[in-house]
Amino acid sequence: MNSCIVAFCCEHSAYPAADLAGKLKLHCPESLRIIRVPCAGRVDVIHILKAFENGAVAVLVLGCEDGACHHITGNTRAKERVKYCNMLLKEIEADGRHVAMFNLSPNEPHKFVRAVNEITKRIKESGR
Amino acid sequence: METKIGIFLCNCGEAIRNIDFAATKEEVAQIPGVSCVNLSSNLCLKEGKEKMISCIKEENIEKVVVAACSPEFKEHIFRQVLEDAGLNGHLFSTANIREQCSWVHDGDVTGKAVELIKMAVNRARLLQPVEKKKFAVNREVLVVGGGFAAINAALQLSRVGLRTTLLEREAILGSETAELGSLCGFDISSMMSEVEGDENIEILTSAEVTAAAGKIGDFTVRIRKGGDEASHKYGAVVLATGYQTKLALESELKSDVNIVSQKKLCRMLENPNLEIRPRTIGFMFDFSDENSRLPTLATLNNALAAKQKWDSEIYVFCKSLKVDGPGAEKLYREARDCGVVFLKCEARPRITAGNGRVKIEAKDVFLGEDTILACDLLVAEELLLPSEGTEALSSLLNIRRDSRGFYQDENVHLYPVASEKKGIFFVGGCRGDLDLSRVLTDVSSVVVSVYELLSSGNILAEVERVKVDPQKCVACLTCIRVCPHDAIQLVRVDGGKEVAEVFDLACDACGICAAMCPAKAITFQGYRDEEILAQVETIEES
Repeated sequence: MNSCIVAFCCEHSAYPAADLAGKLKLHCPESLRIIRVPCAGRVDVIHILKAFENGAVAVLVLGCEDGACHHITGNTRAKERVKYCNMLLKEIEADGRHVAMFNLSPNEPHKFVRAVNEITKRIKESGR
Repeated sequence: METKIGIFLCNCGEAIRNIDFAATKEEVAQIPGVSCVNLSSNLCLKEGKEKMISCIKEENIEKVVVAACSPEFKEHIFRQVLEDAGLNGHLFSTANIREQCSWVHDGDVTGKAVELIKMAVNRARLLQPVEKKKFAVNREVLVVGGGFAAINAALQLSRVGLRTTLLEREAILGSETAELGSLCGFDISSMMSEVEGDENIEILTSAEVTAAAGKIGDFTVRIRKGGDEASHKYGAVVLATGYQTKLALESELKSDVNIVSQKKLCRMLENPNLEIRPRTIGFMFDFSDENSRLPTLATLNNALAAKQKWDSEIYVFCKSLKVDGPGAEKLYREARDCGVVFLKCEARPRITAGNGRVKIEAKDVFLGEDTILACDLLVAEELLLPSEGTEALSSLLNIRRDSRGFYQDENVHLYPVASEKKGIFFVGGCRGDLDLSRVLTDVSSVVVSVYELLSSGNILAEVERVKVDPQKCVACLTCIRVCPHDAIQLVRVDGGKEVAEVFDLACDACGICAAMCPAKAITFQGYRDEEILAQVETIEES
């Protein structure tokens, strides 16, 4: 069975953070698939739902810190969409916690790894 | 006919060790549409690039996928290679097999690398070219303000050959700056005569902005001067509206003659006919907020001057002394050597006034004792606020301000002097408490940025990278509302229908509008729904 975690990473924060995690040889689960987006605000509900439809077990949306979004409001808009997806998942009796939004800075690779570990923990808890 | 995709693998000079490149090459060659796979160890170097160009030309490759390091470092280099090979730079996709695959996992990761390349290939298949075009821009600049920062900005802009208009609300330029001049030791009069004699600078005094519209390269600003109002066109706008100070005191103390501001003290120090000679002076700052860079510098300068001129006893009450300006530490040492006493207090001292004296009661944290000082003069704490009219001007120009009301200064992702709207810049006190050397740095950065934008009279920019489909647009205004860069406007198309249109120069390519559009009328080349979903759908194949 497929067990991919799809991470939509903002190219101003999370993507460089993921690169830095690589440079520092921090460990990430191999099932992680990073998709680069220009801003977390570009991620639409359909992108998240399609990821689940294609067999992903969890979806992460990673954007800039609150109040420090390169495009001012992109991260807050992404957060709203993630909340909406949480609700949709609950409605079909799936675990809503399998889609999550985290905020980080480009110089925070450890926070990136923590976000991935957090979602992995949630997957394990729900027994998939 | 299927598009021909070329894959270029690079092992980054053997820096990628846990991927079997021979196996990867074999496997990715099976992906439909892939016409050739090349393996290199130095793709971003000269010989690698040359090989890439010749391969693209020989094999008639239409789309390129590079599987190597992170696109954060080398994307622009490879885009240039594509352009050199006669392809559009946007027909390019990367698979980050170094940082986000080889380096972040242990053991053999050939499988994941192949997966990532598949994702990139599926995206590349859908990519469309984005052309570039030159947009003509107006070469005139508007500088709002008439203080130190504004005058310096105007002078430097004129020096690089840009016509500048200096717009000042007051009747004369630099009325506040003149006082500052004697305090900080620069000559305001030579600056003033230079700006007045400059043919490239138009000075509008007693004037104000009443309306503003347009985008970078073509701002239309309505200016009221006297009774007349007229529209002017500018290519860029620089705001240098400065700050104001307010005494942080209880209202009953404000009227006391023995409690003064830093500026009043300066005037007293300069007045040769002053009869009183305060024997004891107290200074207070840094109790209201953390922003005490300017009050600290003013206190140190004024304390030294008062010591020299009046030989007064001086006591400084503060929470923390922040000496982060150039030369500030030296100034502090000098003040201490002269006998200025610094007292560190956690709580705001209690102040009572009467009988021509001011009583300060404070608890010094080092002495651990209550200190009571009766002084002849108290230089009270001042709050730094944005100057009057900042709010009105920011709403006219539609730019954001920070929590303290200054122009946006808290977002670490933005260039300090640039607003989220391209073509509008801030310098000096209007964006926070900056000392003079920082103001000059601001001025230089703004002049460089403005020169870069306007000097040649046109800007090369991508055309229709983000595009609204006029057929699908229902003019619901969602995109106009959500665009953080104010780059979308309504236009009337043939047939009288109104639709949204993206202004290419002002667009910063974030894609928020594309995600928000309820009619899905907005496409963002490179990050269209299809292109993102192509990557998402790849995971199913594995």
